[in-house]
Amino acid sequence: MATTLYSVSDAISSLLLGAVGSIFPEPVHGWLTSTDVVTGLAVLIFCAILLVASMINTIMLIWFERKLLGRFMDRRGAMHVGYAGLLQNFADGLKLFRKNTFMPREADRLGYFTGPTAYMVTSMILFGILPVSSGWNGGSLPLSLLLALAVFSFAPLFIFVSAWSSNNKYSLLGGMRSAAQMIAYEVPILLAVVAVVILAGSFDLNTIVLEQQNYWFWGPLVVALFVFFVGMLAEMERIPFDLPEAEAELVEGWNTEYGGMLFAFFMLADYVRALIGSLLVVLLFLGGWTMPSYVPTALTSFPLAGIFWFMLKTYAVFAIFVWIRASLPRVRTDQLLRIGWMRMIPLALLSIVLAGLVVLARCLPVFGCVPTLGG
Amino acid sequence: MKPEELKDNLAELLGPRLLAVEPFAGMAGRVRFERTAALELFRHVREVLGYRHLSMVGGIDWVDHREVFYVAWSDERKEYVLLSTDVPADDPHLESAAPVWTAAVWHEREAFELVGILFDHHPDLRRLLTPEGYAFHPLLRSFKLHEPEDLEVKTRNV
Amino acid sequence: MWVNMGPQHPMTHGLWNLKVRIDGEIIVDADPEMGYLHRGIEKISEDRHYNEVVTLMDRTCYVAGLSWETLYITAAEAALHIEVPERARWIRMLTDELQRIGSHVMWYAAFVQDIGLMTPFLYGMRDRDLILDLFQSFTGARMTYEYNRVGGVRNDLPNGFTDRARKVMDWLMPRFDEYDALCLGSDIFHRRCDDLGRLSATECIDLGITGPMLRSAGLARDLRKDRPYHRYDQVDFDVATATAGDVTARYLVRMEELRQSVRIVRQCLDWLDKHPGSVLAQELPRWLGAPYAPVGAEGYLLKRRYPSGTGFSAVEEPHGEAQAYVVNTGGEHPYRVKFRSPVFANMSGAKSYLVGYHVADIPPIMGSVDICVGEVDR
Repeated sequence: MATTLYSVSDAISSLLLGAVGSIFPEPVHGWLTSTDVVTGLAVLIFCAILLVASMINTIMLIWFERKLLGRFMDRRGAMHVGYAGLLQNFADGLKLFRKNTFMPREADRLGYFTGPTAYMVTSMILFGILPVSSGWNGGSLPLSLLLALAVFSFAPLFIFVSAWSSNNKYSLLGGMRSAAQMIAYEVPILLAVVAVVILAGSFDLNTIVLEQQNYWFWGPLVVALFVFFVGMLAEMERIPFDLPEAEAELVEGWNTEYGGMLFAFFMLADYVRALIGSLLVVLLFLGGWTMPSYVPTALTSFPLAGIFWFMLKTYAVFAIFVWIRASLPRVRTDQLLRIGWMRMIPLALLSIVLAGLVVLARCLPVFGCVPTLGG
Repeated sequence: MKPEELKDNLAELLGPRLLAVEPFAGMAGRVRFERTAALELFRHVREVLGYRHLSMVGGIDWVDHREVFYVAWSDERKEYVLLSTDVPADDPHLESAAPVWTAAVWHEREAFELVGILFDHHPDLRRLLTPEGYAFHPLLRSFKLHEPEDLEVKTRNV
Repeated sequence: MWVNMGPQHPMTHGLWNLKVRIDGEIIVDADPEMGYLHRGIEKISEDRHYNEVVTLMDRTCYVAGLSWETLYITAAEAALHIEVPERARWIRMLTDELQRIGSHVMWYAAFVQDIGLMTPFLYGMRDRDLILDLFQSFTGARMTYEYNRVGGVRNDLPNGFTDRARKVMDWLMPRFDEYDALCLGSDIFHRRCDDLGRLSATECIDLGITGPMLRSAGLARDLRKDRPYHRYDQVDFDVATATAGDVTARYLVRMEELRQSVRIVRQCLDWLDKHPGSVLAQELPRWLGAPYAPVGAEGYLLKRRYPSGTGFSAVEEPHGEAQAYVVNTGGEHPYRVKFRSPVFANMSGAKSYLVGYHVADIPPIMGSVDICVGEVDR
C-alpha cells in the first residue's frame, strides 16, 4: 500500500497511543489502543498536518514572492532574519499577533470580526479538498473540483461584509469593486473549468490528474489555461487586477480599517488563495503530480516524488504571477470588467468548443479509442 | 516692449490713472496705476497687449499703505510685465483680476489671506493656506514672529 | 458623495487634501485644500539675513532644493545689485539641471507607483540616489544643500567631480530607455494614461499652468529658451514638447527633458573643466560674506545702508515656471520675499482636469502634475 497522508497520520496515531497506553494499566491501555480511538486521533493528526503544512507553505510563498520581487527590482528582499530572510515572515506574523485588536467606533461589530475570520477559514478549507499527490488528500470526493471552486467563490461575500461593516468610504468602494470583480471573473473561470471537465470526463481532481498522465491539458486547452490564469489573477486580486486594494486611490481598499491579527488574516488568506490558485492551475492544466514519460524514472520514483514535483510546479506557476506583478501596471475598474465580460467569456466559450473538438478527435478511428465522453 | 512704448500705449487708455511706467530689470516695465483703473488695465494688458498668462499676484505691506503687484507673461513678446498699485491700509479693496485671468483665483486668495487685500468680485475669496477662521494676515508687518524679536534686540540692532 | 483624499493618503505625495465629489466612480467636482504644510517661509524670510533665506529654500521644495536656491539667489542678487562670477553661473546651471534630473526621476518613481507599477519605482529611486551622491560630493548634503550664496556659490566643485558626473550621465542615459520600455511598452499603461486629464494649451494659459504640463499641450514655452537666465543661451538643447496634452504626453515631455538635461549637464561639465576660476564675488560687503559673524565683529554692528532695489527672477524649475520677487529697502533682511510656485498654479486648475474622469484616474492625473506640496504651501 502506498503511503498516503491518512496512512501516515494513522501510523503516528497508533505509535503515539501505543506509547502512551503502555504506561497505563490494562482497561485504559486497551481502550487507548482500540481502533476507534486510534482512528479518531489519526483524523486530528491528519488535520494538524494539513494545517501546519499549508500554513508553512503559505508563509514560504510570501518569502518566495518577496525574494523574487526583490530580484526583479534590483534589490535583495528580506535578508536579516534567518538564512536569507527565511524567518522574516514568521517574525512579521508574530509582530502582528502581538498587536492590539481594535475596532473603529462606528463599525459593525459582528461583520467587522466575522468577515476576516470567515475569509480566512473558507480559504483554508480548500487545502483539505485539493489533492497534493496520489493519496495525499483529504478524501477523494467525486465532485471535489466543484466543491473547491464553490468554496473559492465565497470570498467576495466576506470581503464585502467586512468592507461594509468597517464603515469607511474607501473600504466600501473597495468592497464593491472586489465583489464586482470576483463575480465577473467567476464566470469565465467556471467556463474554462468546464473545458477541462469535458476533456477529463470527471469532476474529481484525482481523476483529472490521472487523465493527464499521457498528455497535460495545457496543450489542447491553451485557451482555457489563459482564461483560467487571467481569471485567477483577478480572483487573487493581484496586480494588474488589484483594484479593490489599489493603494494609490483607495488607501488599502477593503482592509483599510483593519490592523493587527485581523489584517494578518486578510494578508494570509490572500496568499492562501494565491497558493490555491497556483495549485489549481497545476492540477487542471499542468498534470498535477504526474510527470511526462520521458522524464527518467529515477526522478519520479523517489519517496514523495509526487509532492516534490507538484510543489515545484506550483511555485513555478506562482513565480509567473510574481513576474506579472513586477512588470505590469494596474488596470481600471471599468476596463477590468470589460476585459472580464467581453474578452474572457467569449474566449472561455471558445475553449469549451475546442475541448469538444479534442474529445471528438480522440475518438477518430486513427487513435483507435472508444467514443465515450471523456474517454 | 520698451517702458516708453508701454507708457504711450497705456497713457491714452488710462489717462491720469496711470501713475508711472518705470524700467524694471528683466521685464517690459513696471506699471504703476490707480486702483480704480484695475479691471480696465487688466483687460487691456491681456487682450490688447497679449499678456495672457498671469504668473503671480503678491502683496507688500508698506505699513501706511499696501502694494499689490501682478506679473504677467506674453508668449508673443516673450517677456514679463509688472503691474503694481497701492491700496490704503484702512481700506484695502481692489477689483479682482479673476474675471480677466482665471489663474488669479488662487493667487488672490493667497494675497487676501497673507496680506489682507480684499478683492472685490472675487468668485471664491476663502483662506487657502491658513485654517478657516484664522483671524490674522501673517504677512502684515504688524504680525510679529515671537522669538526672533527678542534675538533681534540683543544681537542685531545694537 | 464627497470623499476626502488626504491629508494622509497614498495619492497625495505630500500633505494636502483633495476633496472630490463622486457619482459612483465618476468625479463631478474637485476642490484641493492646501495649507497643511504652510510654514510661512515668506514671513520667516523677512526676519532673516539674505544668505540665511537660502536655508529655507531647500525646505521649500524638498525634491528640487537647488533650483529654488538659484531662483531666490538670482532675485536677491538683482535686488542687491551684485554681480556673480561666470563660473558660479555655470555651476548654478549645472546644479539646476542635475536637480531637474533628480526631480524628474523622482517624479517617474512616484508616478509609476500611482498606476501600480512597482518595479520602476525602485529603479527610479536607485538612479536618483546617484544624483544625490553627486550633490553630496560638493554640497555635503543630500537634501538640504545650502549651497548658494549672494554673489556666487559656497565652494567650488571637488577634484574629479566632472569625471564622476560624466560617468553618472553615461549610466543614466540607457536607464531612461529602460524606463520607457517599462511604461510605454505596456498596453495597460496606454489604457490607463491616454486621453486622461486632457488640457489644451489655451486652457493651460488661462489657468496659469506652466512647465511640462503646458509643454505637453503643444506650446513650447521654456524660460531657458525664451528668457535665458544663467548661461542657457550658450548651451545646446531642445525644448521637449508633445501635442496630446494628456497624461501620456506629460510623461513623454518629462522623459525627453531628462535626456535634454543630460545633454546640458555634459556641456556644463566640459565648460567647467576648461574654465577654472573664482566662484564667489570678491568685493562683497563684509556682512554678506559672513552671515554668522559674532557680535562685535567689525562692520557687523554698524547700521548698514545698502542701495535699495527690487529683484525679480524667473527660472524653469522642474515643475514649471518659478518666480521670486525680493524687495530690498536697504536693511540686512529682505523687506518682502514673494515666490511664485509653479505647482501652486498647476494645482489651482485641479477641477478642470479632474472632472469627468474616474476615481481610479485621480492618482495618475495628479501624479502627472508632479506635486510638491512644500512649494505650494511654502
